[in-house]
Amino acid sequence: MLNADERRAALDAFTATPSGRGRPNRYWKHDLDKLDATSFSPSETSTTVTIFAPPGIVACSLEEATDRFADVIARAQEHRGAAKFAHLTRAFARTGAFIHVPAGAQIDEPVIIRTRANDTTGAFALTIIVLEPGAKLTVIEEFEAVAGSTLVYDSHAEVGNGAQLSASAIQDFPQDARLIVTRSARPQRDAQVAFTHADIGAALAVGEIDIALDGPGADAQVDALFFPSMTQHVDLLTRVDHRVGHTTSRTAIKSAANGSGQGRYLGIIRIVHDAQQSDASLRDDALLLSRGAHIDSVPALEIAANDVKAFHGATVGAIDEEQLFYMASRGVPRDQAESMIALGFFEPVIARFPTEGLRERLRRALQAKLA
Amino acid sequence: MSQSGLHIHDLHVSVEGIEILKGIDLSLQAGRVHALMGPNGSGKSTLANAVAGHPHYTVTSGTVTLDGEDVLAMPPDKRAKAGLFLSFQYPAAIPGVKVANFLHAARQAVRPGDLSPSKFRAMLFEKMETLDMDVAFLGRYLNDGFSGGEKKRLEMLQMAVLAPRYAILDETDSGLDVDALRSVGQAVSALRATDEGQACGFLIITHYPRILAHITPDVVHVLIDGRIVMTGDADLALRIEREGYDTIRDEVAARA
Repeated sequence: MLNADERRAALDAFTATPSGRGRPNRYWKHDLDKLDATSFSPSETSTTVTIFAPPGIVACSLEEATDRFADVIARAQEHRGAAKFAHLTRAFARTGAFIHVPAGAQIDEPVIIRTRANDTTGAFALTIIVLEPGAKLTVIEEFEAVAGSTLVYDSHAEVGNGAQLSASAIQDFPQDARLIVTRSARPQRDAQVAFTHADIGAALAVGEIDIALDGPGADAQVDALFFPSMTQHVDLLTRVDHRVGHTTSRTAIKSAANGSGQGRYLGIIRIVHDAQQSDASLRDDALLLSRGAHIDSVPALEIAANDVKAFHGATVGAIDEEQLFYMASRGVPRDQAESMIALGFFEPVIARFPTEGLRERLRRALQAKLA
Repeated sequence: MSQSGLHIHDLHVSVEGIEILKGIDLSLQAGRVHALMGPNGSGKSTLANAVAGHPHYTVTSGTVTLDGEDVLAMPPDKRAKAGLFLSFQYPAAIPGVKVANFLHAARQAVRPGDLSPSKFRAMLFEKMETLDMDVAFLGRYLNDGFSGGEKKRLEMLQMAVLAPRYAILDETDSGLDVDALRSVGQAVSALRATDEGQACGFLIITHYPRILAHITPDVVHVLIDGRIVMTGDADLALRIEREGYDTIRDEVAARA
């Protein structure tokens, strides 16, 4: 873990780095740039990290790994992007998870990393995942919280040549808890990264997914859903950075809001000047289920190369009346039809989650919000 | 019982302030098949949608009763529960909703709890076999990426599963090949003979008479410019096949 000087530097970096998010407005009331780090004074027992891992890999607390894997951890830290909230995690985290998969190891059974906020003093955890070349792993990042708590979490994955990482994060926090999750990966030559992400609960959920395609043939698949209801606020940012040529990415976001739920999505695709022959797509669809609900969706394509494919598509709107009438004509009442249509709307993203257990959990959680 | 049947009386329907149907009278009885024929734009689909309760169509006057119940007072889902079924000309696609789940939800809504899940599945498989449909249909999303023929077959499957008392088929035959037409004919015949307890009455809306080679209608109506201008037996359909609508239009004009 970091020493005192490093923590102070991380805190300074947190303060100095802009969030890149929009300002508060009549819909959105949180100012992410004014989040006060001095409000946190984490207790010794504020955060618990539990890891469930199959044999064949190293899976331990970050504290235990610090000596044995100093070089690996340092390399991972060096490549972690400069996200504002990742600095916040580094400044405070005293625990976390370390996962290392040796070259060529193909691990079918998923690793589960469960991070829990135990009290309201502020919970912080840092995860580092390293897949050596040709390795394959599925990771499920789960979050739990007591009422009124705040959890700040960062994970970074180094994905070696030809390695494959599937990583899923899912949170269904209590209605008065806050969560800031930043997740990143750096797939190298011919490596594949599939990120799935679901924000269901929390008063405020801030999510940030950052993938840096760092070798030719690298591929990123990002599928996320969020669903603010009542007075929830959900802010999601995804960034896929095509740093070299012959890299591919696909980002698909599905969001819905009801009650007075507020959502914001910022989708960034960057293709640098030399990254010729890259192929990127970004698609986001938002479904508004009530008058008070609001979702802002902002795509940002920064394309400096001239021989690339880049697609962007977006929709925002209410449920189609023709769909409702069709279902009504079969006897399905409006409320139930809306719920089925909305759940169906999320289904393409749900289907990307790696286990049936996760998919069913998501369907149930979404159904409960639609009832 | 004098009230039994689907009775449409002096029905006037407007769309965006323009009157499309100008007083329709039509009565369906259990087990009987009526064909409603007419050229494009005559108001055939308007009648189907208005009876089913599409919010876009405004009934300005007239009545519709189903076995004595006031259909126009019911929201669309209650009309389905009362035993009305509309086979859509253009069924809506609903991505993410699986055919199997939708069929189950619809059956549960129309006839709550009448079949155990296993009996429901058995019934579903039997109906699909009759309609020559692959079970793979059940795992697909509702009408999503379906061909025209697949959509119409799914409409017929829904009709078979819901076993309505009165069914309106809006151009279910359009764009179908001969095999698919035969399936539609079979679906109608099956329900016409016996539904689960009661035979179904049909209103088959069509532009072309070729579906009527598979389903012999008891009564044929001709709808032109929002009015039923002629009613006859199956021979009227044959006449339309020979002569088209122009001679009928002329005859009606001469009569006036």
